[in-house]
Amino acid sequence: MRNVTALPNSPIRPFKTGIAFEAFTQGGEHGTMSQVMAPPWLDVLDETIGACVTHRRPDLEARLREKRAQQLDPKLRVLVVGESKQGKSQLVNALLNAPVCAVGDDITTTVPTFVQHADTPSAALVRNASAGGSIFHTPTERIAVPIDQVTKQAAAQHVVRAEIGIPRALLDSGLVLIDTPGVGDTRSAHTASTFATLMQADAVLLVSDATGELTSAEMTLLKKVMEACPNVTVVVTKIDLVPSWRHVVERNRALLARAGIRAKLIPVSSALRLRAAKTGDQRLNTESGFPELVTCVQSDIVASADLLARRAVAVVASSALTQLVTPLREELTTHDSSHTVATISTLQEAQRRVDELRRRSARWQNVLNDEMADLISDVEYDLRDRTRKILREVDKTYDEADPAIGWDKFEQWLEDNLNEAATTNFAWLMERAEWVAAKVARNFPVYREDLIPGSVLPDDLLEPASKLEKPKIEPFSMPQKLFTGLRGSYGGVLMFGLVTSLAGMPLINVISLGAGALFGGKSILDESDQRLKRRQAAAKAAAQRHVDDFFMKFSKDVRDSGRHIQRSLRNHFSTLAEELQETLLESARSAKRAVQDDQTERERRMREGRKELDRLVTLYKRVQALGGPAMELTA
Amino acid sequence: MTLDRVVWSMLQEALGVYRDSPRATAWLRSHAERYTEPVRIAVAGRSRIGKSTVVNALIGDEFTPQNSFVWYRGGTEPRAHAFTGPGRPHELTIGRRGNRNHVEAGQFDRSDRVVVDWPARTLRDVVLIDTPSEATPEQVLGDADALVYLMRHVQDEDLKFLRSANDHPIARTAAVHTVAVLARADEIGAGRIDALSSAKQIARRYRRDPAVEPSCQNVVSVAGLLAVAARTLREDEFAALRVLSSLGREELEDHLLSADRFAGEQFPLAMEPTVRQALLERFGIFGVRLITALIRQGFDSQVKLTGQLVQRSGLGELRDSIAVHFVERREVLKARSAMLALDVLFRMEPRQSARRLVADLERVVASAHDFRELRLVAALQSGRTKLPAELQTEALRLIGAEGVAPPARLGFEYEADAGELREALLDALLRWQAQAVDVHAPQNHRRAAQIVVRTCEELLLQLS
Repeated sequence: MRNVTALPNSPIRPFKTGIAFEAFTQGGEHGTMSQVMAPPWLDVLDETIGACVTHRRPDLEARLREKRAQQLDPKLRVLVVGESKQGKSQLVNALLNAPVCAVGDDITTTVPTFVQHADTPSAALVRNASAGGSIFHTPTERIAVPIDQVTKQAAAQHVVRAEIGIPRALLDSGLVLIDTPGVGDTRSAHTASTFATLMQADAVLLVSDATGELTSAEMTLLKKVMEACPNVTVVVTKIDLVPSWRHVVERNRALLARAGIRAKLIPVSSALRLRAAKTGDQRLNTESGFPELVTCVQSDIVASADLLARRAVAVVASSALTQLVTPLREELTTHDSSHTVATISTLQEAQRRVDELRRRSARWQNVLNDEMADLISDVEYDLRDRTRKILREVDKTYDEADPAIGWDKFEQWLEDNLNEAATTNFAWLMERAEWVAAKVARNFPVYREDLIPGSVLPDDLLEPASKLEKPKIEPFSMPQKLFTGLRGSYGGVLMFGLVTSLAGMPLINVISLGAGALFGGKSILDESDQRLKRRQAAAKAAAQRHVDDFFMKFSKDVRDSGRHIQRSLRNHFSTLAEELQETLLESARSAKRAVQDDQTERERRMREGRKELDRLVTLYKRVQALGGPAMELTA
Repeated sequence: MTLDRVVWSMLQEALGVYRDSPRATAWLRSHAERYTEPVRIAVAGRSRIGKSTVVNALIGDEFTPQNSFVWYRGGTEPRAHAFTGPGRPHELTIGRRGNRNHVEAGQFDRSDRVVVDWPARTLRDVVLIDTPSEATPEQVLGDADALVYLMRHVQDEDLKFLRSANDHPIARTAAVHTVAVLARADEIGAGRIDALSSAKQIARRYRRDPAVEPSCQNVVSVAGLLAVAARTLREDEFAALRVLSSLGREELEDHLLSADRFAGEQFPLAMEPTVRQALLERFGIFGVRLITALIRQGFDSQVKLTGQLVQRSGLGELRDSIAVHFVERREVLKARSAMLALDVLFRMEPRQSARRLVADLERVVASAHDFRELRLVAALQSGRTKLPAELQTEALRLIGAEGVAPPARLGFEYEADAGELREALLDALLRWQAQAVDVHAPQNHRRAAQIVVRTCEELLLQLS
């Protein structure tokens, strides 16, 4: 397309593509150029950028735009990469026959150094104007420095790159040699800056010295480089040092072939070349291997810039397209099967849950009924047990005590005891009721915050039962005592009077009177004893009645509250169940609708997706046709 | 009780606890046996870095490289055995191939290890293990007490290897078993005549590099080919090199520009190309350049030349490092290996009756002062930690850089009695206690002083 050598020192350098273009701004619309004779790769690249925009991938877009700008830039960037201490800087120096890059025994190159043509030798450091910014897209400033000071000053912070210009015929055509810091160094910043520069490279010289064959780390590096820039030449340096360098070169060729990497391999010796330049020894120059390298740079890189551009674009565009196609294809297959499957399975799930709910609501109802029945009988038993204990206590007391004395105290005691029994019993009822509620909640099909009702208890409980009736107490008054005494003494007097009258004594005598008194006293005692018994019996009966009353009343209350609790729990849970069922039915209905809607929507989207995929694949094929590694991509 | 005695008694105790497990017993027995052997040093590194060359240089005899682990042990007469699996070892013959010794591995080419008994002075104190480059860190360190790791400019892979060597709680506490070697120092600077001194400077830089420093005791630079040459330079080779150096400097330089030129047809001297080729293979282009320059400078007898080469190649420094960091600290390194072995056992076969031993092990690891001393020796010698000059000398002496016996530590050159020792020790203790709490001193200074104080306190216990 063009002949670079024909344009030696022309002020207007040729574009890599041979086209003229107006101001091309990175952020602007692509296509602001008047295309005189757009090379095929530009169309394809622009179309790929368009595809990235449609698919909302600004990252890929930015990358492609960068590549586009770089390809339109007339400069040809040749990156020199490799592990540290392989002789990269020295290689650049030897290529140019000038000590532009500092070389040293320890790690020397710390920032990428761009060496390009200039009419007078000059150098500058480019550094981030704002400290701490990233390498990309931050304002930079240029500081002019003497060439021999570049490396020393480049070690300062925030220096992004060094730029050196020297007048050399090799660089005349717009060639830029970029010396980079070694990869795999312990200082990862160096490696990072090398990889950042890699994105801008049109061609790469990978440097490995002849003291050893390519290591696995170097092979990894080579593959990584190939992904970003396919135009790689492997340069084996320091062949002057190694007697067996031919063997190493052979091994390296074999390694490359085994890895399937088509890259030229050129053995050189920078030391010999520099020496030859000093002495003007042509034979030594030939021996150094550099003539071959220079020819390679000129013919394979400079002269075939268009091919390089096509290849580079092919690699970058196809990687971008692959990234676009993959999610699209995935989406299509999802539409095909898994999306529908998903909606259908949603529907099935909803139906399953409705069934489940029905099945389990029977369960919780059973649990509620059983538990409440148990609860009521347990509580009643407990109450009966407690009242019986109280009655037994009452019996024991009134076997001995006289109710006539301290009835009030007794009444108080009885009242207290019954109250306590009732309270305990009722507390137990409440506890059990809450436990039942929790158990029912556990058996409820789903868990919810408000599953356990706040209160299940009726509030009108514990009305006091009827007052204890005071039993009828018959006091034993004095006249009664007198009368009883007289009645008893009458029999005694008469009995003994008759017996003693046989002995000739009068009916009323000392003996009969004494006996009368004795009999009278006894009958009074008997009478009072009987009366006590009667009173005790009366008291017991009264207590019994009272407790019975209490039991009747309270057990009724307990049973009522039990039923009340049961009812309110049932109401509570059935409301919840109904709500739940409604929700589930709704989701099942919507799932059913979704399945129906999906059919039509899916078909439409499928059609569109297929069309888009076809478009991308066609584009991909065109990209491939530009000349890159052959990769298979099918719809 | 010293560390090695403590660990030894733990080994014995573990043998008692695990006596019913044949596997554990065999494991403990092998480690108990290893406890009394010389320290085992593995030489490892990436492929073609020059592992065998360095091993040869250390032994002082050339052996052809093998594909398996090769152990060089001291012995009264040359013998070699191949070990494969659990079977009995096979005796191998040692022949000559060219000017090198060659172990006829034959069918045992891929055996687990080849053990060579060789009468050499170096091998009295150490067992050297030459490792294949594809060996994993676990394989390399499983049998070795110490590691000499060869690398060129430090690459991530090297750091990974060194770190994985310390990837164990005990190993981390006691990272005292590695000396890193900047190998092939002669290739630095594209073989310029001052390559070796510049390699030494780079090694010094790596010694303080925060990425390299925590995982090794020292970094030295070694030019393997020159080191071997120094140990095995032959009469005829010396004669040939003398002839070469008789040539004019300019003229010789021209022909030493590249290996091709040196071995090529056009040569001003009547010297067979095969001879020149052999010289190249033995010494490398740099070696020939340096040796001829040295002869011209007046090191013109074989003895003088050899002395120069040992010193310049870095072999002397490597040997010193091995002596200071490994041989003199044999007990500590052996204890370290045994503790690692015990830890493996306790994790593989945990049992109730070993609970106390596990606790003991943890306590010993946490409190072993010897490891801290070793780290400090390395830090002071490499310049990572700096103390004022007179303090530095005393600190190094006290923490045992010049010998671990109390009189040596306290700087007595004659047989001092207990009273004198005690007095000197108390004096040192007070001085260092003051250093340890000196608020004006920098942090690492104070920390170093604390370690010295601890050493003094332990010495005090030993003396009373």
